[in-house]
Amino acid sequence: MNSLIRFIVRYQFFLLFLVLETFSFWLLSTHSYYQSTKLEDATRTLTGFASTRISNATKYLKLAETNEHLAQSNLELRNQLAALNTRYDLLRNKLGDTLVEPNYSYTLAKVVNNSINKQYNYLTLNVGKDHGVKKEMGVVSSQGVIGIVAGVSSNYSTVISLLNVDLKISAKLKRTNHFGSLYWDGKNYREVLLTDVPQHVAVSIGDTVVTSGYSAIFPADINLGTISSVEGKGSNFHNLKVKLFADFKQLSSVWVVSPKLESEREDLENTTTLR
Amino acid sequence: MVKDIVKYSGLFVLLILLQIFILNNIQLSGYINPYLYVLFILLLPYEIAGWALLIVGLLTGLTIDTFMNTYGMHSSATIFLAFLRPYMLRMLADREDVDKKGNPSLSGNGFVWFLKYVSILVFAHHLMLFFIEAFSFSTFFSTLWRTLLSSVTTTIFIFIAMLLFDKKQ
Repeated sequence: MNSLIRFIVRYQFFLLFLVLETFSFWLLSTHSYYQSTKLEDATRTLTGFASTRISNATKYLKLAETNEHLAQSNLELRNQLAALNTRYDLLRNKLGDTLVEPNYSYTLAKVVNNSINKQYNYLTLNVGKDHGVKKEMGVVSSQGVIGIVAGVSSNYSTVISLLNVDLKISAKLKRTNHFGSLYWDGKNYREVLLTDVPQHVAVSIGDTVVTSGYSAIFPADINLGTISSVEGKGSNFHNLKVKLFADFKQLSSVWVVSPKLESEREDLENTTTLR
Repeated sequence: MVKDIVKYSGLFVLLILLQIFILNNIQLSGYINPYLYVLFILLLPYEIAGWALLIVGLLTGLTIDTFMNTYGMHSSATIFLAFLRPYMLRMLADREDVDKKGNPSLSGNGFVWFLKYVSILVFAHHLMLFFIEAFSFSTFFSTLWRTLLSSVTTTIFIFIAMLLFDKKQ
Protein backbone atom coordinates (compact mmCIF):
# COMPACT_ATOMS: atom_id res chain seq x y z
CA MET A 1 0.00 0.00 0.00
CA ASN A 2 2.75 2.34 1.02
CA SER A 3 4.70 1.55 -2.11
CA LEU A 4 1.58 2.02 -4.19
CA ILE A 5 1.09 5.52 -2.80
CA ARG A 6 4.75 6.24 -3.36
CA PHE A 7 4.38 4.99 -6.91
CA ILE A 8 1.40 7.30 -7.49
CA VAL A 9 3.32 10.21 -6.01
CA ARG A 10 6.25 9.47 -8.29
CA TYR A 11 3.93 9.11 -11.21
CA GLN A 12 2.29 12.45 -10.49
CA PHE A 13 5.70 14.04 -10.25
CA PHE A 14 6.62 12.68 -13.66
CA LEU A 15 3.26 13.75 -15.08
CA LEU A 16 3.70 17.28 -13.79
CA PHE A 17 7.21 17.29 -15.22
CA LEU A 18 5.86 16.34 -18.63
CA VAL A 19 3.15 19.00 -18.45
CA LEU A 20 5.61 21.72 -17.51
CA GLU A 21 8.13 20.64 -20.15
CA THR A 22 5.39 20.66 -22.74
CA PHE A 23 4.45 24.14 -21.63
CA SER A 24 7.99 25.42 -21.95
CA PHE A 25 8.41 23.79 -25.35
CA TRP A 26 5.20 25.46 -26.38
CA LEU A 27 6.68 28.76 -25.21
CA LEU A 28 9.82 27.96 -27.16
CA SER A 29 7.95 27.16 -30.34
CA THR A 30 5.72 30.22 -30.20
CA HIS A 31 8.31 32.76 -29.16
CA SER A 32 11.56 31.91 -30.82
CA TYR A 33 11.72 31.91 -34.57
CA TYR A 34 14.75 29.65 -34.94
CA GLN A 35 13.44 26.82 -32.78
CA SER A 36 9.92 27.05 -34.19
CA THR A 37 11.13 26.71 -37.78
CA LYS A 38 13.29 23.79 -36.73
CA LEU A 39 10.29 22.16 -35.07
CA GLU A 40 8.15 22.75 -38.13
CA ASP A 41 10.85 21.22 -40.30
CA ALA A 42 10.99 18.16 -38.08
CA THR A 43 7.23 17.66 -38.07
CA ARG A 44 7.05 18.26 -41.81
CA THR A 45 9.74 15.66 -42.41
CA LEU A 46 7.91 13.23 -40.19
CA THR A 47 4.48 13.77 -41.74
CA GLY A 48 5.99 13.84 -45.21
CA PHE A 49 7.67 10.51 -44.64
CA ALA A 50 4.47 9.00 -43.27
CA SER A 51 2.23 10.29 -46.05
CA THR A 52 4.69 9.10 -48.71
CA ARG A 53 4.49 5.61 -47.27
CA ILE A 54 0.72 5.77 -47.07
CA SER A 55 0.33 7.01 -50.62
CA ASN A 56 2.76 4.35 -51.86
CA ALA A 57 0.51 1.72 -50.31
CA THR A 58 -2.77 3.19 -51.53
CA LYS A 59 -1.47 3.72 -55.06
CA TYR A 60 -1.95 0.04 -55.81
CA LEU A 61 -5.58 0.15 -54.74
CA LYS A 62 -6.26 2.93 -57.22
CA LEU A 63 -4.58 1.32 -60.23
CA ALA A 64 -7.82 0.41 -62.00
CA GLU A 65 -9.16 3.93 -61.61
CA THR A 66 -5.87 5.38 -62.77
CA ASN A 67 -5.85 3.15 -65.83
CA GLU A 68 -9.30 4.25 -66.80
CA HIS A 69 -8.33 7.86 -66.33
CA LEU A 70 -5.24 7.41 -68.50
CA ALA A 71 -7.21 5.67 -71.22
CA GLN A 72 -9.68 8.54 -71.21
CA SER A 73 -6.96 11.15 -71.52
CA ASN A 74 -5.26 9.06 -74.24
CA LEU A 75 -8.47 9.18 -76.21
CA GLU A 76 -8.72 12.93 -75.83
CA LEU A 77 -5.09 13.39 -76.89
CA ARG A 78 -5.59 11.15 -79.90
CA ASN A 79 -8.54 13.24 -80.99
CA GLN A 80 -6.51 16.39 -80.58
CA LEU A 81 -3.64 14.84 -82.51
CA ALA A 82 -5.91 13.98 -85.40
CA ALA A 83 -7.34 17.48 -85.47
CA LEU A 84 -3.90 19.03 -85.33
CA ASN A 85 -2.57 16.72 -88.04
CA THR A 86 -5.29 17.92 -90.35
CA ARG A 87 -4.45 21.51 -89.63
CA TYR A 88 -0.75 20.79 -90.01
CA ASP A 89 -1.26 19.28 -93.43
CA LEU A 90 -3.40 22.25 -94.43
CA LEU A 91 -0.77 24.74 -93.34
CA ARG A 92 2.02 22.76 -94.90
CA ASN A 93 0.26 22.81 -98.25
CA LYS A 94 -0.27 26.54 -97.96
CA LEU A 95 3.40 27.09 -97.19
CA GLY A 96 4.40 24.98 -100.14
CA ASP A 97 5.72 21.94 -98.29
CA THR A 98 8.46 23.90 -96.62
CA LEU A 99 7.71 22.70 -93.10
CA VAL A 100 9.15 19.32 -93.92
CA GLU A 101 12.46 20.91 -94.81
CA PRO A 102 14.50 19.79 -91.81
CA ASN A 103 17.12 22.51 -92.06
CA TYR A 104 14.79 25.23 -90.87
CA SER A 105 12.66 25.76 -87.81
CA TYR A 106 9.85 28.25 -87.37
CA THR A 107 8.86 30.70 -84.68
CA LEU A 108 5.31 32.00 -84.63
CA ALA A 109 5.05 35.77 -84.37
CA LYS A 110 2.42 38.47 -84.43
CA VAL A 111 2.83 41.61 -86.49
CA VAL A 112 2.43 44.50 -84.09
CA ASN A 113 3.38 47.30 -86.47
CA ASN A 114 3.32 47.45 -90.24
CA SER A 115 3.48 49.98 -93.05
CA ILE A 116 3.04 49.74 -96.79
CA ASN A 117 2.86 53.30 -97.98
CA LYS A 118 6.50 54.33 -97.82
CA GLN A 119 9.49 53.53 -99.97
CA TYR A 120 11.24 51.86 -97.05
CA ASN A 121 8.64 49.85 -95.23
CA TYR A 122 9.30 48.02 -91.99
CA LEU A 123 7.32 45.64 -89.79
CA THR A 124 7.58 45.03 -86.07
CA LEU A 125 7.08 41.55 -84.62
CA ASN A 126 6.38 40.57 -81.03
CA VAL A 127 9.27 38.12 -80.86
CA GLY A 128 12.90 38.90 -80.18
CA LYS A 129 16.20 37.62 -78.89
CA ASP A 130 14.47 35.78 -76.05
CA HIS A 131 12.56 33.72 -78.59
CA GLY A 132 15.65 32.86 -80.59
CA VAL A 133 15.17 35.47 -83.29
CA LYS A 134 18.37 36.86 -84.81
CA LYS A 135 19.29 39.41 -87.44
CA GLU A 136 18.92 38.31 -91.04
CA MET A 137 16.38 35.62 -90.42
CA GLY A 138 13.60 35.32 -92.95
CA VAL A 139 9.97 36.07 -92.19
CA VAL A 140 7.17 34.31 -94.03
CA SER A 141 3.41 34.12 -93.72
CA SER A 142 1.13 31.40 -94.93
CA GLN A 143 0.84 33.32 -98.19
CA GLY A 144 4.50 33.93 -98.89
CA VAL A 145 7.66 35.83 -98.09
CA ILE A 146 7.23 38.89 -95.87
CA GLY A 147 10.75 40.15 -95.25
CA ILE A 148 14.03 39.80 -93.42
CA VAL A 149 14.74 40.59 -89.78
CA ALA A 150 16.79 43.78 -89.57
CA GLY A 151 17.12 44.30 -85.86
CA VAL A 152 16.19 42.51 -82.64
CA SER A 153 15.66 43.57 -79.07
CA SER A 154 14.90 41.07 -76.33
CA ASN A 155 11.16 40.89 -77.06
CA TYR A 156 10.66 42.62 -80.39
CA SER A 157 12.21 42.59 -83.82
CA THR A 158 11.99 44.88 -86.81
CA VAL A 159 11.67 43.40 -90.24
CA ILE A 160 12.61 44.93 -93.60
CA SER A 161 9.43 44.38 -95.51
CA LEU A 162 9.49 42.95 -98.97
CA LEU A 163 7.90 46.30 -99.76
CA ASN A 164 11.19 48.09 -99.20
CA VAL A 165 13.14 49.27 -102.22
CA ASP A 166 16.39 48.21 -100.56
CA LEU A 167 15.48 44.55 -100.26
CA LYS A 168 16.33 42.09 -102.96
CA ILE A 169 15.68 38.40 -102.63
CA SER A 170 16.53 35.48 -104.84
CA ALA A 171 13.48 33.99 -106.58
CA LYS A 172 12.82 31.50 -109.32
CA LEU A 173 10.09 30.45 -111.70
CA LYS A 174 8.54 27.35 -110.27
CA ARG A 175 7.85 25.82 -113.69
CA THR A 176 11.25 26.29 -115.34
CA ASN A 177 13.53 26.73 -112.31
CA HIS A 178 15.18 29.83 -113.80
CA PHE A 179 16.12 32.23 -111.08
CA GLY A 180 16.31 35.98 -110.87
CA SER A 181 16.21 38.66 -108.25
CA LEU A 182 13.01 40.04 -106.87
CA TYR A 183 12.54 43.56 -105.54
CA TRP A 184 9.91 46.21 -105.07
CA ASP A 185 9.91 49.34 -107.19
CA GLY A 186 8.04 51.35 -104.59
CA LYS A 187 4.89 51.85 -106.59
CA ASN A 188 2.13 49.28 -106.11
CA TYR A 189 2.03 47.35 -102.86
CA ARG A 190 0.56 44.33 -104.62
CA GLU A 191 3.27 44.09 -107.27
CA VAL A 192 7.02 43.47 -107.26
CA LEU A 193 9.55 43.09 -110.06
CA LEU A 194 11.51 40.03 -111.06
CA THR A 195 14.65 40.70 -113.08
CA ASP A 196 17.63 38.77 -114.43
CA VAL A 197 15.52 36.07 -116.02
CA PRO A 198 17.07 35.55 -119.45
CA GLN A 199 15.11 36.37 -122.57
CA HIS A 200 15.18 32.83 -123.93
CA VAL A 201 13.06 31.52 -121.10
CA ALA A 202 9.46 31.22 -122.13
CA VAL A 203 7.57 33.03 -119.40
CA SER A 204 3.85 33.17 -119.48
CA ILE A 205 1.43 35.21 -117.41
CA GLY A 206 0.20 33.27 -114.41
CA ASP A 207 3.45 31.40 -113.79
CA THR A 208 4.21 30.95 -110.12
CA VAL A 209 7.29 32.59 -108.61
CA VAL A 210 8.86 30.96 -105.54
CA THR A 211 11.98 31.47 -103.47
CA SER A 212 15.10 29.91 -104.91
CA GLY A 213 16.70 28.65 -101.73
CA TYR A 214 20.03 29.99 -102.94
CA SER A 215 20.45 32.09 -99.85
CA ALA A 216 20.38 30.61 -96.39
CA ILE A 217 17.68 33.05 -95.33
CA PHE A 218 14.66 31.41 -96.93
CA PRO A 219 13.97 27.77 -97.65
CA ALA A 220 13.36 26.94 -101.28
CA ASP A 221 9.89 26.93 -102.82
CA ILE A 222 8.10 29.43 -100.65
CA ASN A 223 5.32 31.02 -102.66
CA LEU A 224 5.79 34.62 -103.71
CA GLY A 225 3.27 35.41 -106.41
CA THR A 226 2.30 34.97 -110.02
CA ILE A 227 3.58 36.69 -113.15
CA SER A 228 1.19 39.48 -114.07
CA SER A 229 2.99 41.05 -117.02
CA VAL A 230 5.97 40.22 -119.23
CA GLU A 231 7.96 43.15 -120.64
CA GLY A 232 11.47 44.03 -121.72
CA LYS A 233 11.51 42.90 -125.29
CA GLY A 234 14.78 43.77 -127.02
CA SER A 235 16.97 43.45 -123.94
CA ASN A 236 18.79 40.41 -122.60
CA PHE A 237 16.47 39.91 -119.68
CA HIS A 238 12.78 39.80 -119.09
CA ASN A 239 11.20 42.58 -117.12
CA LEU A 240 8.60 40.68 -115.18
CA LYS A 241 5.94 41.98 -112.87
CA VAL A 242 4.88 39.64 -110.08
CA LYS A 243 1.55 39.90 -108.31
CA LEU A 244 2.13 38.97 -104.70
CA PHE A 245 0.11 36.31 -102.96
CA ALA A 246 0.56 38.05 -99.65
CA ASP A 247 -1.64 41.00 -98.89
CA PHE A 248 0.62 43.21 -96.82
CA LYS A 249 -2.32 45.21 -95.59
CA GLN A 250 -3.74 42.22 -93.74
CA LEU A 251 -0.74 40.68 -92.03
CA SER A 252 -1.20 39.34 -88.53
CA SER A 253 0.42 35.96 -87.97
CA VAL A 254 3.81 35.28 -89.50
CA TRP A 255 6.64 32.82 -88.96
CA VAL A 256 10.26 33.65 -88.42
CA VAL A 257 12.49 31.16 -90.22
CA SER A 258 15.55 29.98 -88.32
CA PRO A 259 18.06 28.18 -90.51
CA LYS A 260 19.56 25.39 -88.45
CA LEU A 261 22.74 24.92 -90.43
CA GLU A 262 23.18 28.57 -91.32
CA SER A 263 26.70 29.00 -90.01
CA GLU A 264 27.96 25.83 -91.63
CA ARG A 265 26.59 26.90 -95.00
CA GLU A 266 27.90 30.43 -94.68
CA ASP A 267 31.34 29.28 -93.67
CA LEU A 268 31.52 26.93 -96.60
CA GLU A 269 30.33 29.58 -99.04
CA ASN A 270 32.71 32.20 -97.69
CA THR A 271 35.73 29.97 -98.00
CA THR A 272 35.01 28.81 -101.53
CA THR A 273 33.65 31.94 -103.20
CA LEU A 274 36.15 33.82 -105.35
CA ARG A 275 35.46 37.48 -105.43
CA MET B 1 8.63 28.22 7.62
CA VAL B 2 8.06 31.95 7.10
CA LYS B 3 11.72 32.49 7.77
CA ASP B 4 12.56 29.94 5.10
CA ILE B 5 10.29 31.61 2.56
CA VAL B 6 11.91 34.99 3.21
CA LYS B 7 15.37 33.43 3.05
CA TYR B 8 14.69 31.66 -0.26
CA SER B 9 12.97 34.71 -1.76
CA GLY B 10 16.07 36.76 -0.95
CA LEU B 11 18.29 34.08 -2.44
CA PHE B 12 16.09 33.93 -5.53
CA VAL B 13 16.25 37.68 -6.14
CA LEU B 14 19.98 37.75 -5.43
CA LEU B 15 20.79 34.90 -7.80
CA ILE B 16 18.57 36.23 -10.58
CA LEU B 17 20.08 39.71 -10.31
CA LEU B 18 23.58 38.26 -10.22
CA GLN B 19 22.84 36.16 -13.28
CA ILE B 20 21.23 38.89 -15.34
CA PHE B 21 23.34 41.90 -14.50
CA ILE B 22 26.76 40.37 -14.01
CA LEU B 23 27.18 36.82 -15.30
CA ASN B 24 25.26 37.32 -18.53
CA ASN B 25 27.56 40.20 -19.38
CA ILE B 26 30.71 38.20 -18.85
CA GLN B 27 31.99 36.76 -22.07
CA LEU B 28 34.36 33.89 -21.39
CA SER B 29 35.82 33.00 -24.81
CA GLY B 30 32.37 32.76 -26.35
CA TYR B 31 32.10 29.09 -25.58
CA ILE B 32 31.55 29.37 -21.87
CA ASN B 33 28.37 30.72 -20.29
CA PRO B 34 28.12 30.15 -16.53
CA TYR B 35 24.56 29.87 -15.27
CA LEU B 36 24.81 30.33 -11.54
CA TYR B 37 21.06 30.74 -11.07
CA VAL B 38 20.59 26.93 -11.06
CA LEU B 39 22.08 27.04 -7.55
CA PHE B 40 18.65 28.15 -6.34
CA ILE B 41 17.07 24.83 -7.33
CA LEU B 42 20.04 22.92 -5.91
CA LEU B 43 19.74 24.63 -2.52
CA LEU B 44 16.00 24.07 -2.00
CA PRO B 45 15.17 22.12 1.17
CA TYR B 46 15.14 18.31 1.15
CA GLU B 47 11.50 18.06 2.21
CA ILE B 48 10.08 20.24 -0.59
CA ALA B 49 7.18 18.55 -2.36
CA GLY B 50 7.71 17.28 -5.89
CA TRP B 51 5.12 19.56 -7.47
CA ALA B 52 6.50 22.59 -5.63
CA LEU B 53 9.99 21.72 -6.83
CA LEU B 54 8.85 21.57 -10.44
CA ILE B 55 6.82 24.79 -10.17
CA VAL B 56 9.75 26.61 -8.61
CA GLY B 57 11.93 25.26 -11.43
CA LEU B 58 9.49 26.60 -14.00
CA LEU B 59 9.30 30.01 -12.30
CA THR B 60 13.07 30.31 -12.04
CA GLY B 61 13.61 29.38 -15.67
CA LEU B 62 10.78 31.61 -16.79
CA THR B 63 12.22 34.58 -14.92
CA ILE B 64 15.59 34.13 -16.59
CA ASP B 65 13.88 33.60 -19.95
CA THR B 66 11.93 36.81 -19.54
CA PHE B 67 15.07 38.81 -18.99
CA MET B 68 17.05 37.04 -21.71
CA ASN B 69 14.23 36.89 -24.25
CA THR B 70 14.65 33.14 -24.68
CA TYR B 71 11.12 31.98 -23.87
CA GLY B 72 11.05 28.30 -22.98
CA MET B 73 14.76 27.63 -23.26
CA HIS B 74 15.86 28.10 -19.66
CA SER B 75 12.45 26.98 -18.36
CA SER B 76 12.65 23.56 -19.95
CA ALA B 77 16.23 23.06 -18.78
CA THR B 78 15.45 24.18 -15.24
CA ILE B 79 12.32 22.01 -15.04
CA PHE B 80 14.47 19.11 -16.18
CA LEU B 81 16.96 19.93 -13.43
CA ALA B 82 14.17 20.08 -10.84
CA PHE B 83 12.85 16.75 -12.11
CA LEU B 84 16.24 15.07 -11.75
CA ARG B 85 17.01 16.47 -8.31
CA PRO B 86 15.01 13.98 -6.17
CA TYR B 87 16.52 10.99 -8.06
CA MET B 88 19.97 12.49 -7.65
CA LEU B 89 19.42 13.01 -3.93
CA ARG B 90 18.22 9.42 -3.49
CA MET B 91 21.17 8.10 -5.47
CA LEU B 92 23.67 10.04 -3.35
CA ALA B 93 21.92 9.49 -0.02
CA ASP B 94 23.65 7.43 2.64
CA ARG B 95 21.48 4.81 4.32
CA GLU B 96 21.59 6.75 7.62
CA ASP B 97 20.65 10.25 6.55
CA VAL B 98 17.53 9.60 4.50
CA ASP B 99 15.48 12.00 6.59
CA LYS B 100 17.96 14.78 6.75
CA LYS B 101 16.81 18.23 7.78
CA GLY B 102 17.61 21.48 6.00
CA ASN B 103 19.02 21.69 2.51
CA PRO B 104 21.99 20.35 0.54
CA SER B 105 25.08 22.43 1.21
CA LEU B 106 28.84 22.31 0.94
CA SER B 107 29.37 22.53 4.70
CA GLY B 108 26.58 20.12 5.58
CA ASN B 109 27.34 17.33 3.10
CA GLY B 110 31.04 17.56 2.52
CA PHE B 111 33.10 18.50 -0.48
CA VAL B 112 32.95 15.23 -2.47
CA TRP B 113 29.21 14.72 -2.00
CA PHE B 114 28.46 18.31 -2.92
CA LEU B 115 30.79 18.20 -5.91
CA LYS B 116 29.05 15.10 -7.26
CA TYR B 117 25.61 16.57 -6.57
CA VAL B 118 26.36 19.93 -8.18
CA SER B 119 28.44 18.80 -11.14
CA ILE B 120 26.08 16.06 -12.35
CA LEU B 121 22.93 18.16 -12.05
CA VAL B 122 24.57 21.22 -13.57
CA PHE B 123 25.83 19.09 -16.44
CA ALA B 124 22.32 17.72 -17.01
CA HIS B 125 20.86 21.21 -16.95
CA HIS B 126 23.46 22.63 -19.33
CA LEU B 127 23.17 19.65 -21.67
CA MET B 128 19.44 20.27 -21.98
CA LEU B 129 19.92 24.01 -22.29
CA PHE B 130 22.60 23.99 -24.97
CA PHE B 131 20.94 21.33 -27.06
CA ILE B 132 17.66 23.25 -26.98
CA GLU B 133 19.61 26.35 -27.93
CA ALA B 134 21.29 24.61 -30.85
CA PHE B 135 18.16 22.56 -31.53
CA SER B 136 19.97 20.12 -33.75
CA PHE B 137 22.36 17.21 -33.40
CA SER B 138 24.35 18.27 -36.46
CA THR B 139 26.73 20.25 -34.24
CA PHE B 140 26.69 17.53 -31.59
CA PHE B 141 30.33 17.61 -30.51
CA SER B 142 30.61 21.38 -30.55
CA THR B 143 27.49 21.60 -28.36
CA LEU B 144 28.78 18.86 -26.06
CA TRP B 145 32.09 20.68 -25.70
CA ARG B 146 30.27 23.90 -24.82
CA THR B 147 28.17 21.98 -22.29
CA LEU B 148 31.26 20.49 -20.64
CA LEU B 149 33.18 23.76 -20.41
CA SER B 150 30.20 25.73 -19.16
CA SER B 151 29.29 23.04 -16.61
CA VAL B 152 32.80 23.17 -15.17
CA THR B 153 32.65 26.96 -15.02
CA THR B 154 29.22 27.01 -13.41
CA THR B 155 30.32 24.41 -10.86
CA ILE B 156 33.37 26.51 -10.00
CA PHE B 157 31.17 29.60 -9.63
CA ILE B 158 28.80 27.66 -7.38
CA PHE B 159 31.65 26.52 -5.16
CA ILE B 160 32.98 30.07 -4.91
CA ALA B 161 29.50 31.29 -3.97
CA MET B 162 29.13 28.57 -1.38
CA LEU B 163 32.52 29.30 0.16
CA LEU B 164 31.72 33.02 0.31
CA PHE B 165 28.14 32.95 1.62
CA ASP B 166 27.60 29.59 3.28
CA LYS B 167 29.89 30.10 6.28
CA LYS B 168 27.18 30.35 8.88
CA GLN B 169 25.44 27.05 8.10
